[in-house]
Amino acid sequence: MSVLKNKATNSLLKSEKKSLFRFLVLYTTMVIVLMVLLSAFYYQSQEKFMLAEERATLSKYAYIQTKRLKVLHHFFDERDTYPRDSRFRSAIYDNEFAKIFSLIKEENIQFDKEIYIADKMIHFIETLDNYYLGARYLVIEVEDDTQWRAEIWKHIFIYGSVAFLVFMLFGFYLAKLFLKPMRDSIVLLDRFIKDTTHELNAPLSAILANIEMMDTDIMAEKNKKRLARINIAAKTVSTLYQDLTFLTLEHERHNEDEPVDIKPLLEDRVEYFNAWIHSKRLECFMDTEDASIVIDKRKFTRIVDNLISNAIKYNQRGGSIGIKLRKGMLMIWDTGIGIEKEKIPFMFDRYMRFNESEGGFGIGLSIVKKIVDEYHMSIEVESEIKKGTRIILKW
Amino acid sequence: MVKKFLFATVVLTSYTAAQNAYERHCVPCHASLPTSLQGMFMNHLLVYGGEHNFKAALKHYLRYPSKDISVMSDLFIDNFGIKEKSTLSDKELNEAIDIYWDKYKVFGKLK
Ligand code: HEC
Repeated sequence: MSVLKNKATNSLLKSEKKSLFRFLVLYTTMVIVLMVLLSAFYYQSQEKFMLAEERATLSKYAYIQTKRLKVLHHFFDERDTYPRDSRFRSAIYDNEFAKIFSLIKEENIQFDKEIYIADKMIHFIETLDNYYLGARYLVIEVEDDTQWRAEIWKHIFIYGSVAFLVFMLFGFYLAKLFLKPMRDSIVLLDRFIKDTTHELNAPLSAILANIEMMDTDIMAEKNKKRLARINIAAKTVSTLYQDLTFLTLEHERHNEDEPVDIKPLLEDRVEYFNAWIHSKRLECFMDTEDASIVIDKRKFTRIVDNLISNAIKYNQRGGSIGIKLRKGMLMIWDTGIGIEKEKIPFMFDRYMRFNESEGGFGIGLSIVKKIVDEYHMSIEVESEIKKGTRIILKW
Repeated sequence: MVKKFLFATVVLTSYTAAQNAYERHCVPCHASLPTSLQGMFMNHLLVYGGEHNFKAALKHYLRYPSKDISVMSDLFIDNFGIKEKSTLSDKELNEAIDIYWDKYKVFGKLK
């Protein structure tokens, strides 16, 4: 059981991946937005805090400067040197915001604020009760030592990354939680299939063997047809059986890689499906050259069987299927119902079926994909709705 | 006597003709006061601030002088009294005040 579970859960299905991806993107964006908001809030409150501290010093400077202006005002007929101080720069503006005198760099004073930071300098604005030298506003300017800023950024960075990590861990936990029901049903289905397939083998072999042994010469035409139908049906079940055992038992087996001559194998498999092809009145185009591949023969047969049986299954009556074999390339095409472009990425997912009218477990292509990946082959799908599908295999 | 009178008129006319509204209408009367016109300017400025305010307030004061709103000290007023209401025309008054402002304003004087 644990082995089975491992096998089922170690790789995510495409559709799972997609919903997981969507969830994570949404979640991450939300986390980031939240973090940015929190950081901005933190930054602002720290700035306010810093300014409140700074304000005490600046208003002391403003007081001193006001006294000096007062003196200068009274002795203006004798003196005209604006009082300077090495600790700060200052400027005076009249009540019409006209600059009377200024030592500061900032030109656009924000008179509606009491204290603010601009151009890495802190500005403090004192409103004078007496218009010394005609001044209504005294602006005090000091360099903003960026130390506190660096400190805030450091905090934001450290706490931010910790919080982000925690949030993301929580997110992964959530994602796992919400994938679990999906996961569970897949595991359950896998186990069910494993149990049932075991019981299918013997009866199926008996049916197929007996059909082969039947003497068709002495049979009425009507019965011959019926037998052919039984044959097709049994082979369909057999293919399914092969797929299911592959899926559930394959990992207990070792690969027996050998050079495989593909041409005779293809001919053999077409022959195997011949009755089915005939019954659907399909025309079969074979265009094969000699080609070989080093692979476990059983696995390659699974690929070929699944691709051919899909080409038959999803074809319309009187359509055609084709097989083209070149060195390093196998193409199987049909004139069937086709598949929508958006669905192509998901067609190799297990238990994914696009056409409810056709039966099946939707495992065939997932097996194909698994083998293709295992042997580092590439598979391409070109399809057009109601026109048909081509599947191209390269190695 | 006639000479003296003539001299006075000549001086006066040359005075009035040569000088601007401020020097004609304000300086002579203020010359006898102990606080300079600059000193009064600073007193007035201290209370009224910016140019617009300053000029409007001064114009009003010159038209309607009163002890209650004077910027001069009580001591000063007790000694020299409130000035008389100005009878100058609006134009002349404005001109005189503008010149007064330009002469003593702080703008551009600080170093
Ligand atoms: C007739 C004399 C006289 C003339 C003319 C005169 N002043 Fe005065 N002025 C005074 C006296 C006296 C005071 C002080 C008493 C007072 O403030 O009322 C005074 C006060 C002032 C003050 C202080 C105002 C205040 O609020 O107390 C200013 C400013 C002033 N004068 C400007 C002027 C200007 C400008 C002119 C010319 C347009 C002018 N004066 C013309 C006599 C004069």
